[in-house]
Amino acid sequence: MNDYLNKLPAFVETIESMKEIIITNVVLIGQINAPTFKEKRRTTVLMERMAEFQVDECTTDGYRNPIGIIRGTSENKPPIFVVAHIDTPLHKGMNSVLNYRVSVDSIKGPGILDNSLGVGVLTSLPEIFRQLELRFESDIVLAGVIQSIGKGNLRGIRHLVKTWPTPIRGAVCIEGVDIGRLNYYTEGMRRCEIKCNIASEDDINVQFRPNPILILNDVINQVLRLPLPQRPRTRIVFGKISGGVNYGKIPEETRLGFEIRSDADRMVKSVYNDIKDIVDGISQEHHVDLNMSTISNLSAARLKFNHPLVKSAGAVMKTLGLKPVSDSSESELSIFLSRKIPAVTLGITRGKNRGTDEASMKIDPMFKGIAQIIGVLMAIDSGICDE
Amino acid sequence: MNNNWLRTHTFHYSKFKDLNKLVEEKQRKGLTISLCLPTLNEERTIAKEILIMKSELMARYPLLDEIVVIDSGSTDNTLEVASAYGADVYLADDILPDLEKHKGKGENLWKALYITKGDIIVYLDADIKNIHHRFVYALVGPLIMDDNIKFAKAFYDRPIAIGKSKIRPTGGGRVTELVVRPLFALFFPELTQIIQPLSGEYAGHREIFEKIPFPIGYGVETSMILDIFEKWGLEVMAQVDLDRRIHRNQDTKALGKMAFVILKTFLDRIEKLGLIELNKDLFYEMIQYNLIRDEYKPDTYNIKGVERPPMIEIPAYREKIEAAPSEQEMKGPSHIAEPQTDRSV
Repeated sequence: MNDYLNKLPAFVETIESMKEIIITNVVLIGQINAPTFKEKRRTTVLMERMAEFQVDECTTDGYRNPIGIIRGTSENKPPIFVVAHIDTPLHKGMNSVLNYRVSVDSIKGPGILDNSLGVGVLTSLPEIFRQLELRFESDIVLAGVIQSIGKGNLRGIRHLVKTWPTPIRGAVCIEGVDIGRLNYYTEGMRRCEIKCNIASEDDINVQFRPNPILILNDVINQVLRLPLPQRPRTRIVFGKISGGVNYGKIPEETRLGFEIRSDADRMVKSVYNDIKDIVDGISQEHHVDLNMSTISNLSAARLKFNHPLVKSAGAVMKTLGLKPVSDSSESELSIFLSRKIPAVTLGITRGKNRGTDEASMKIDPMFKGIAQIIGVLMAIDSGICDE
Repeated sequence: MNNNWLRTHTFHYSKFKDLNKLVEEKQRKGLTISLCLPTLNEERTIAKEILIMKSELMARYPLLDEIVVIDSGSTDNTLEVASAYGADVYLADDILPDLEKHKGKGENLWKALYITKGDIIVYLDADIKNIHHRFVYALVGPLIMDDNIKFAKAFYDRPIAIGKSKIRPTGGGRVTELVVRPLFALFFPELTQIIQPLSGEYAGHREIFEKIPFPIGYGVETSMILDIFEKWGLEVMAQVDLDRRIHRNQDTKALGKMAFVILKTFLDRIEKLGLIELNKDLFYEMIQYNLIRDEYKPDTYNIKGVERPPMIEIPAYREKIEAAPSEQEMKGPSHIAEPQTDRSV
C-alpha cells in the first residue's frame, strides 16, 4: 500500500530535471499582476498554459476559477483537488507587470511566495505527471482559485467546492512557503476592521477635534483587558494599522485591522460581541464616528492528528527528509475541512520577505516540495481517505 | 510612396503560435537555429531569457538548436548565471583572438556569427523583463514559413518600466521618432514602413548576416537595415508585432549618445552610397555637459565608428564553414538572390 513512498526519492531527481519548465511557469504566470478581484489576465494565461500542457479538460467554473482536469483511470472514484490561490496581495496597479529576477539558486520578486510559486507548480503538474509516468485512479482537478486573500474572503474556493457536482475524495492546497508545513486544522476566525472618522477641518462646528489615533489606542487598551480563555484557545491578533498624513496634523481617519481566532466558533462570536460593545461605547463617549466591520470569517474545522491523510502526509515528508510542522491555516483548507472533505496544506520551498517587493524563494528545496505534493496525491489516490 | 510592404510583410506573433507546425517545417527544410544573447552586466534578466527559451523552445518544442551568450566583459554574475542555466557562454574577446579587440553590442553580434552553428540566427537583447518565447518563435516564423523572407525584425507596443512596477505606453522609441525615422523619410522613404528599426530583436539567415558589415556599437541595427535593403531590397525583410516589451528606460543623455552613433553610422552609409558628399571628416566625439557646483563640465563620449567587415571575408570563418558539413548541399540551392550591387536608391 505504501509503495509510493519508495518512489519519492527518485521522483525528486526527475522533477529537478524539469527545472526549466517549472521555473518558466512560475515566471510567465507569476509576473502577471493579479490583485484580488482583478485576476482576469493571470487567469487567462493560466488557462492557456494548462491547455498547452494538455490537461484533458480546461475550463472555468461559474465564478471564473480556472480549472484543469486530468482524467483518472476509474470512472467511480471521486476527484482529488489540488488548489492554489492565484490572487496576489501586492501591487494593485492593474497594468503593472511584476518583474522577477532569477539567479542561480533563487527567484526574487513581489508575490513570488504568495502565491506565484504555488500557481506555477500547479500548472506544471500535468507535465510532471507525464514525465513521472503517473496515472491516477481519480480525476485530478487542478484549480487556481480567485478572490482568496483579504477582502476576497475565499470566495473563489467557497464557490468551487459548493457547486462541484460530485463528492470530493480529498484535497491538497499548495502555498509557496514553507516546505515542511503540514496544516490540517483551521481555527475559527473573524477578520475585522475598525475605522475611526472625525469631521474634516472645514467643519466649523468642531471646536476640539478628538484624535483618531488616540481613539484607536483607547480601543486597543480596552480590548487588551478582555479575559480570553486558555481552553478553548482564543486570541486576538492586531495585524494592521493605518492613518495620518504628516507628523503635526491630527488625522481624519484611522483604521485598525485584527483577527479574532479560537478553536471554538462560539468564543469567536463572544469576543466579537465584546469588542463591538467596546467600539460602540467609545464612539458614544467621544462623539466620533467609530465603526467595526467584518472583512471575512471562517469556522473552526480540523482533521484529527491521527487521520490517515495526516499520517500519510507525515510519512511522505519523513521519506523525503522533511520534518512536518503543524499549525492552523486559515485558507482554502478551511473550506474543504468545513465541508468534511479531508485536506491538507503543504508548502513548496523556503523563502523570505514574503509580503514585500523583495520576496524571494530558494530553488533547490522546491523539488522535494513538489515530490511531497505528488506523494500525498498518490496516498489519497490509494484510498486512505475513503473510509 | 507605395506602402505595400507594410501590408504584406507585417505579421502578428500569433500567426506563428502553432509551434508544432514551425518545428515540422524547420525539420522538413533541414534548418538549424541559434539564439544569441549579447550581454554586458545582465544578471538581473539573463537567466529568465535562457530558461524560458530552453523550456519552451528546446525541451518542449525543438525549435532552437543552441543558445549562445556573447559577453563584453560583465563584472556582475551574468556569466555564472547564464552558464548555470545551460547557455554556451563566450567572452567576445576570446573569439577570433588574433583580431583587434573592440567592445560593443555589434561586436558581440558579429562574433556570434563565428561561434554559432545555425542557418538562422536570432538576436535578442538580454534586458527584456517580460521575456516570453514568442520573442523567438515569432521572429523565426516568417523565415521558416516563407522562403523569400531572410530577415525579420520585431516591433512592439512599448511600455517602459519607469518605477518598480509602473509602466506607460509609448509609440516608437524617442531615438527612432526623432532621429531614424526622419532620416529614413529623407533618404529611404520605403524604410519608414519599418515601425521600430532600432528594436534589438531580430532574426535572419546566416547567408544574409555573414555578407554585411557590423558596426561594433549602437549603429548596428541601422546599418543592418540599410545594408540588407541596399543589397537585397525590402522584400527579403519582414516585421513582427511581438505585443509588449518591457525594458529599462534610458535617460536623455544616454539616448543622445545613441543618436550620435546612429547619425554617424547613417551619414557614413549614405556617403558611401554617393547620396551625399561631405567636405570634411566627421568628428567622433559626442560632447554633453553636466552642471557641477555651478560650473558646466563637458562629458565626452568617444566613438570612432569602428566597423567589422562582412564575416564571410574573415579567413578563419571561411575555413570553419568549409570544414563543416555543407548544409547547403543537403538542402539544395539557396533561395536568396545574389546581392544587387547596382541597386539604385
